[in-house]
Amino acid sequence: MLRPRIIPCLLIKNNGLVKTTNFKNPKYVGDPINTVRIFNEKEVDELIILDIDATIKGREPDYNLIEQLASECQMPFCYGGGIKNSSQIKTIIGLGVEKVALSSCAIETPEILTEAAACVGNQSIVVVLDVKKRVRDNNYEVYTHNGQMATGKCPIELAKEMERLGAGEIVVNSIDNDGLMKGYDLTLVQKIREEINVPLTCLGGAGSLQDIGQLINMFGAIGAAAGSLFIFKGVYRAVLINYPNQVEKDKLIRKSHH
Amino acid sequence: MDEPDRFNHLGPRLKHVSKITVKSIKQRSYQICSNCVMDTSDSAITFDDRGWCDYCCNFYENILPNWHPDEQTWKVLSKIVDKIKKVGKGRDHDCLIGMSGGVDSSYVTYLAKEKLGLRPLIFHVDAGWNSQEAVNNIERLVDGLGLDLHTEVIDWSEMKDLQLAFFKAQVPHLDTPQDHAIFASLYNFAAKQGFKYILTGANYSTECVREPIEWHYHASDLRQLQDIHHRFGKVPLKTFPLADIFKYKLYYRYVKGVRVVKPLNFVSYIKANAMQELTDRFGWQKYAHKHYESRFTRFYEGYWLPEKFGYDKRRAHFSSLILTNQKTREEALVEISKSPYDEQTKLKDFEYVAKKLDLTVGELHKIMDGENKTYRDYKSRMPLINMATKVLRIFGKQQAIIR
Amino acid sequence: MIGIIDYGLGNVKAFANVYKMLDIPAIIVTKPHELINVSRVIMPGVGAFDHAMKCLQDSGMREMLDEIVLRKQVPVLGICVGMQMLTNSSEEGVSPGLKWINGDVKKIDSSFNKSIYVPHMGWNDVKPLNNNDLFRGLSDDARFYFLHSYYVHCQRNEDVIAVTNYGVEFACAVNHENVFGVQFHPEKSHQYGIKLLKNFSEL
Repeated sequence: MLRPRIIPCLLIKNNGLVKTTNFKNPKYVGDPINTVRIFNEKEVDELIILDIDATIKGREPDYNLIEQLASECQMPFCYGGGIKNSSQIKTIIGLGVEKVALSSCAIETPEILTEAAACVGNQSIVVVLDVKKRVRDNNYEVYTHNGQMATGKCPIELAKEMERLGAGEIVVNSIDNDGLMKGYDLTLVQKIREEINVPLTCLGGAGSLQDIGQLINMFGAIGAAAGSLFIFKGVYRAVLINYPNQVEKDKLIRKSHH
Repeated sequence: MDEPDRFNHLGPRLKHVSKITVKSIKQRSYQICSNCVMDTSDSAITFDDRGWCDYCCNFYENILPNWHPDEQTWKVLSKIVDKIKKVGKGRDHDCLIGMSGGVDSSYVTYLAKEKLGLRPLIFHVDAGWNSQEAVNNIERLVDGLGLDLHTEVIDWSEMKDLQLAFFKAQVPHLDTPQDHAIFASLYNFAAKQGFKYILTGANYSTECVREPIEWHYHASDLRQLQDIHHRFGKVPLKTFPLADIFKYKLYYRYVKGVRVVKPLNFVSYIKANAMQELTDRFGWQKYAHKHYESRFTRFYEGYWLPEKFGYDKRRAHFSSLILTNQKTREEALVEISKSPYDEQTKLKDFEYVAKKLDLTVGELHKIMDGENKTYRDYKSRMPLINMATKVLRIFGKQQAIIR
Repeated sequence: MIGIIDYGLGNVKAFANVYKMLDIPAIIVTKPHELINVSRVIMPGVGAFDHAMKCLQDSGMREMLDEIVLRKQVPVLGICVGMQMLTNSSEEGVSPGLKWINGDVKKIDSSFNKSIYVPHMGWNDVKPLNNNDLFRGLSDDARFYFLHSYYVHCQRNEDVIAVTNYGVEFACAVNHENVFGVQFHPEKSHQYGIKLLKNFSEL
């Protein structure tokens, strides 16, 4: 039986790990290399690492850091941040990364999806959609550039389009729920899940294993990604890397099969 | 006897040991204590006519008479605990516990909450080298005892630069950046947040034989840290927690009223039993050796220090256990003759340390081959510290030998 | 000596890391002559079938591989697309495969099952058959990471040494004489993958 994937998601800014709240106020959380090493030792399902500076600053991805992080992973590793063309994608995959995540460039130059998929296969192409609810009409809207640029596009339509063009996985990231640890935006996930046929991963808002359990309960084999949950502990949000062990994971999955 | 053979125990780096140490080693032949396993790799060690070292003598003369965990000491501890509770009334927490995930700090946490009924805030310093076991153990205790946690995350780029500076300084005390960050954050936080009591896992049971200064110079000597950073560092220490030894021993203590309590000295603390109790109760994971909750410390104590300087900190750790009847001398001798950890892990750690410090393996080896220096080669507050220690000893406040 | 074929596709470094950790000698192979002394071959693979076959052809190692696999009978392990390449052909493209195992590659069909999303992505259970040594010592709950949209269909049932279930049950590991293939990624499957790769080195 294919299991749901429980995925720590780490954000990199200035070579250090940070955590945001609603995509703002990045708090320094530590050294990426040691953190990834710990997650590897905890045998996490897979890992997502996003460089949140690269696109905004017009920077190339930090290939050296990517390679160093990839060599720490005995589980699949998805990298995103600063990717603009398929040559970069090829390079990054060649550094030992299983999947690349595209955000703004997938929306601005969607032909990159088809091009890259033809080369590395669509299973390695992930599109991340950062989504916020529009205040004026309560509809969902996709943002890029770290939540700073509104695209005016609907995430459901965009997800379908991205799939059509070559994305093998969609990650839907709720800006409204980011860092609050109050639960996923399940409505948003539902809307997208109904319309696409590729694997879907949900990110933004997970505050407890119960939140993940609830997601799995509703959607079965889905990706449950979280940042704060696996990095912080307790009311003071103290940095402490944590992740459910095999027993706890199996319990979550078994519960959802009732 | 052939001179070179006599020094084989010091490892292949003898020729790089600085002049002062070479002189003192050359003047004396190898000797190991007949009661514990400390030896002349502590160049200032002395032996009595039984062949017992000054650590052993000091233990029996000064420490043991004043340290006897029993009902009386439990009463004394209870009184202290009552005071802590009284002073902490109305606050979210009545004390601060520095927690590394190691057995001592884990056990004191357990003791504090479960047996003493205190309401501690657990304070952890993330210096960028946590092992999986360390974070797991902290999590287990925090969850298992329902405690609050605060983590101080040291800026890795500053820590990396400072550690690299210490490597380049060729001194034995490479653990200073980590140690200093840990104690400075803890004390600074306590003073700032108004905590009057810090509980630590320090204990005679496993630490009555302290590592000699030659091996483990005072991490609290800010002057030394700053001098080494000034000479070999590149990144300014903007956020790095700093506290001068006198600031924390005098100002925090006497002006801010921050007191340190060592509960493990008031109870019967048998390390093996403590570890088992933690494992059974919380799913606590054991480490291969003391201090191995940090990957850096494991590498540094298990490989760098013995290989480059000939100092094996296990000698001090095991000797403490021998004196407190938790290990026999025979067992210690057998263990110390073996390497602390296997060849493969050693290599893996060497590569990892190089990677973390942005060095190639070759560059790290080159540093290892450099000429050994001591704390005396850099600015320090040692003269002042020596005087202060003497004063404390006169007032009976310092029993363990620190040299 | 394990030879990990680097023909421009696949996570060769990950395999090298695993063997380094296991203290088993392994080299990354980019030229035919480097294959002369290898006792085992690992053929990683990521991406589209035709593209992979082309890259392999362009690498110049095709002939030498045919030689050592078919004639010298050196054990070879194909990973993911590397496994698919062992067969005769794939629905994904038009290139012929290596034809080292009698079978072909089909697309995972999700038309009858709404919750079968393609690509097959994630950790899935693997059921070894016939006590093959490749899976020796692996626990009953062994699971591996899958990341693919096509699967191998063997002509001979005996060639199937493990199956997985995703909508339908299909072969996730194959073996014919010295030719082995796994659909999942052992280099990214933590302890299970490490064990399997160790087994392969000891066959």
